[in-house]
Amino acid sequence: MHTVWKGAISFGLVHVPVKMFSATEDKDISMRMIHKVCGTPIAYVRQCKTCEVDVEWADIAKGYEYEKGRFVLFEKEELDQLGSDGSKTIKIVDFVDLHEIDPIYFQKTYYLSPDQAGGNAYNLLLEAMKQSGRIGIAQISIRSKSSLAAIRVMDNCLAMETIFYPDEVRPISQVPGLPEKVDVNEKELSMAAMLIDQLSTPFEPDQYQDDYRVRLMDMINKKIAGEEVHVAPEQQRTNVVDLMAALQASLEAVNTDTTEKPAKTKAPAKKKPARKKAE
Amino acid sequence: MPATVKGKLTIDGCELDITNPDKLLWPEDGITKLVYLQRLGELAPYLIKHCRGRYLTTIRYPNGIDGKSFYQKNCPQPQPPFVQLAEQSGIHYVHLDSLPTLLWLGNLAALEFHASFDRINEPLVPTEWVLDLDPSQDEEPRIMEAAMRVGDVLHSLGIRSIPKTSGATGVQITVPLQRDLSFDELRHIGLFIGEYLTSTYPDLFTIERLKKNRGKLIYVDYLQHYQGKTLSAPYTPRARPGAPVSTPLTWDEVRRSPHPTEFNLLTIGKRLSQMGDLMEQTEPQQLRPILEFISKR
Repeated sequence: MHTVWKGAISFGLVHVPVKMFSATEDKDISMRMIHKVCGTPIAYVRQCKTCEVDVEWADIAKGYEYEKGRFVLFEKEELDQLGSDGSKTIKIVDFVDLHEIDPIYFQKTYYLSPDQAGGNAYNLLLEAMKQSGRIGIAQISIRSKSSLAAIRVMDNCLAMETIFYPDEVRPISQVPGLPEKVDVNEKELSMAAMLIDQLSTPFEPDQYQDDYRVRLMDMINKKIAGEEVHVAPEQQRTNVVDLMAALQASLEAVNTDTTEKPAKTKAPAKKKPARKKAE
Repeated sequence: MPATVKGKLTIDGCELDITNPDKLLWPEDGITKLVYLQRLGELAPYLIKHCRGRYLTTIRYPNGIDGKSFYQKNCPQPQPPFVQLAEQSGIHYVHLDSLPTLLWLGNLAALEFHASFDRINEPLVPTEWVLDLDPSQDEEPRIMEAAMRVGDVLHSLGIRSIPKTSGATGVQITVPLQRDLSFDELRHIGLFIGEYLTSTYPDLFTIERLKKNRGKLIYVDYLQHYQGKTLSAPYTPRARPGAPVSTPLTWDEVRRSPHPTEFNLLTIGKRLSQMGDLMEQTEPQQLRPILEFISKR
């Protein structure tokens, strides 16, 4: 596991240096986009239509479109400054019971481990939370973004769930087609209840697997085994060589009557004269 | 002499404090600050000419080339009365335009002088175009051969250019310009030349931006030449063993594949008195027809 963030948990006057690790990983099989005609992976280019150039990261700022086609620009530093007071902390502000938080609020889970000489403070916080059975609600700032989090105990590890701010959770009242008052047939209800009973079991996550992923991986292996493989063609670069030859030929044609210093030849007279040399 | 000796120097009517003249700046080469300042004096007319009118970044090595270093863009304080400034994006650059300013920087152990491509008065008008050849290996025996190839391609397009050692491992090819092209337009030409070189000499050149993917190939950096970016100025010393100096060469010299450290603080004075400034001996070149031709593709 590699560290995704370093900072400290603070609550009251206690300061616990920690490292953070992603607790979950997405195992989706990723695919690249291929040009069907020739089998070449598609390249993404950052292009400017006005300047007709590929744009380098150094020349890119972020812009907020406050109305169509009009932007206010931000440099990275400006945004970083906004992010927080610059302190890299997970600041626990309240302790609550876990069941008070609806699962809808949970975003992503991280593990926290003690950093440097933070072992004692870490153990203290871990044990105290274990005994109280409560979880901490904290404010965190990671990568210039601040968010809300829940700190809880998992075995001998502190875990952190980032959670949505309330205004990021859409109200149920916006869901279309919900029944206004519940009115069901008694007989049907008891049958449904029976079915639920039959399917009830303890939660054993190991018994579920991603069938789609398994089938896809199978198919990938079959395609490789059956040599149904497409290789991206070598980039053809002959065009630039041809272009160079054409350019050289055209310059030669212009310069047949001059000797040695082709660069000094006057271009067709449409050009404005070069500005006087400064200095 | 104890290492804490101080002295005052009066140059062109400007008074300058010299501190620690015996401090070794290039220890292996026995170059003390005093020697360095003497050599800077020899370089001054040339180095200043190529830094004047540009934004200057220096790299300072207060304890010599083996010690810690830092980039200095903002003018160091206190600023003597004879030092001129040039402001850009909130940074107050030193304008290196006189011998006293150069020696003042030298006394502050500024060992490298990097000048901006853009001019203080005309930031959007490049006055030269540079292709930077940057080897991926510390010792690249083919660097002069590579420079020769670039020179030949430019020559085949009727462009006269000046090769110069960066003073480190690379070579830069400079083309003086008539002032009628923008930085972006020059990148167009640079990409074209770079693509041509990589397809014609795939074992020698690359235009791959990520260092880790370049292997042992020599990087044709046509992107460095841009407003806001800098390059080791012609005739700047470099904080490397042997005290190399970034030195313009003749194409005949390139052909015999010299090592960059042949041109150093101890040898440069004699060379300059014999050959003068090679940078000045090529007239501005006309590149617009080439741009127009390749833009039509």
